[in-house]
Amino acid sequence: MKVLMAGRGKTLYFLCRNFTAKGYTVVIINRDREECVHLARQLSALVVCGDASDATILKEAGAMDADVVLAITPNDQDNLVICQLASIQFNVPRVLALANDPDNAEIFEKLGVSAFSTTHIVGSLIEQRASLEQIINLMPVGEGRVNVTEIILDADSPVSGKLLKDIILPKNALVAVVIRSNQPIVPRGDNDLLAGDRVVLITLPENHGAVLKAFTGERK
Amino acid sequence: MRNSLYIVIVGCGRLGSHLANQLSRVGHAIVVIDSNEETFNDLSPDFSGFRIVGDATQMAVLKQAKLKRADVFFATTHGDNVNLMVAQVARKLFNVPHVLARVFDPRREQIYDQLGVETICPTAVAAEMFLMAVASHRAAAGEVKS
Amino acid sequence: MKTQPILIVDDEKNIRLTMSQSLEPMGIPVQTAVNGEEALQKLREEPFGLVFLDLKMPGMDGMDVLREIKNNWPKTRVIIITAHGTIGSAVEAMKIGSVDFIQKPFSPGEIRELATQVLGRETLDEESVVDYPSLIELCNRHISDRRFAAARETAQKAIAADPAQPEAYNLLGALFEIKGDEPASQKFYRAALDIDPSFKPAQANLDRATSWNKIGRIDFGLAPRDADGDNPSPKGDDHEE
Repeated sequence: MKVLMAGRGKTLYFLCRNFTAKGYTVVIINRDREECVHLARQLSALVVCGDASDATILKEAGAMDADVVLAITPNDQDNLVICQLASIQFNVPRVLALANDPDNAEIFEKLGVSAFSTTHIVGSLIEQRASLEQIINLMPVGEGRVNVTEIILDADSPVSGKLLKDIILPKNALVAVVIRSNQPIVPRGDNDLLAGDRVVLITLPENHGAVLKAFTGERK
Repeated sequence: MRNSLYIVIVGCGRLGSHLANQLSRVGHAIVVIDSNEETFNDLSPDFSGFRIVGDATQMAVLKQAKLKRADVFFATTHGDNVNLMVAQVARKLFNVPHVLARVFDPRREQIYDQLGVETICPTAVAAEMFLMAVASHRAAAGEVKS
Repeated sequence: MKTQPILIVDDEKNIRLTMSQSLEPMGIPVQTAVNGEEALQKLREEPFGLVFLDLKMPGMDGMDVLREIKNNWPKTRVIIITAHGTIGSAVEAMKIGSVDFIQKPFSPGEIRELATQVLGRETLDEESVVDYPSLIELCNRHISDRRFAAARETAQKAIAADPAQPEAYNLLGALFEIKGDEPASQKFYRAALDIDPSFKPAQANLDRATSWNKIGRIDFGLAPRDADGDNPSPKGDDHEE
């Protein structure tokens, strides 16, 4: 897998280190000559110095055969244009833009570019802080339109000891799998839930908090 | 004025302020947005429009300018990407009927034509004028010869 | 009914110009005044049907100008020009008999629509109005006539006509707040929010009504909707998203 990343700073550095450790081929595009030199020394990635919203620079960085383009510069307008260029001119199958202004995440999606907002992500994590320690895994799928969350139920959980059919769930949510003593069960209404169960939930971003609350309860 | 239009202009540099002054003079309702308040000094004393200090890449600023009501939208900042972003937002999210963006890099012009954003590239326009001047000079010279 | 002229009162030349030009196509004569004193002078000379009034002007205080206008010419309708979504003394404005706001910047179409809306209210027949948008309009007319009991009754009719709209509840909340019935006013602000949790005017009213240091602000929902660039139709449910 080949990943093109445009941006700067620590996020870029650690993401790149993470990706190269996984064996991905990473190309970094950065405007600042000094930072480029620094990054090239520290990372096993190709570093291209220039403006990533310039098609010639994208080409030089090998956008033609990139699998993913990640635009995480501090300027939203640059991130949008980088992703649009990559997907329209170079047919990059997956592009992802950072929306520094959280409002722009939705705007980018409407303009056809997948986007994420760190403000949103951190914000929702903090909102869910009550149940944080019980979340084992959280994986957004379908461009972030669906969440797959794995939680572990404890004795304080309001659903411990209840039958699945007796649990009132918000709309568009599903208990996909229950793992009990390492045995996965695809549950039906007459299955019960017990403390210690690991439950895999399917939620949407809009009902995610409410569903988690139903399973973990209100905690301070 | 009977056919007064509601025109929003992002960027109050030389181009933006010139457009704002001209269009205001003929009776259109103008809103100028710029993140730097000092640029409004370039507006003429008889400019009768509104000024908004703010970053147009923020949705809140465009909402404040009541973009939904705009008949015409010009993006004239010095950043190509800013112009391209706000122009797309104006066209696709606020459905402004007529949107124009200035883009300095002629290569970017092409890609945004594909995205349905009308752009004007000063370099390309100037180049065309020069080429036309050369062509007309030749034509004139040719006529004299024959 | 003969159409009376419109008066624009603003110290900013560009506002007076933009407004005059915008109203021109309506075929109603327009006059302007640069401050409250001049406005009152002009009102003494001839009757005006509608006044656009900026509250922030040098010289005579805008609220005093509003009070003078409504005391001397109660039939004259006043639209307040604001720079922000809410005005600091909207509760006062409503008590005095002004319920309409327009937020800067404005498009020519918006000015004409609001003027048409406010003037169009006059022709509503109190007895025969039954649909929700017209009831809201009638309620606003009663407020500008300072017939608050009738306004409350009409707002209640509007709720009955369409219980799923937040505006009527919010309006009724504001009317109860004017009456001094705080529990009732909070109840209706909450009801508006139950219907639409994102309905900002009711949230602002409730926050204010339940906060300790009360400052007189009532949000009628007109200006903030404009702030979002939404259509100012009474059923303004056309959110961006």
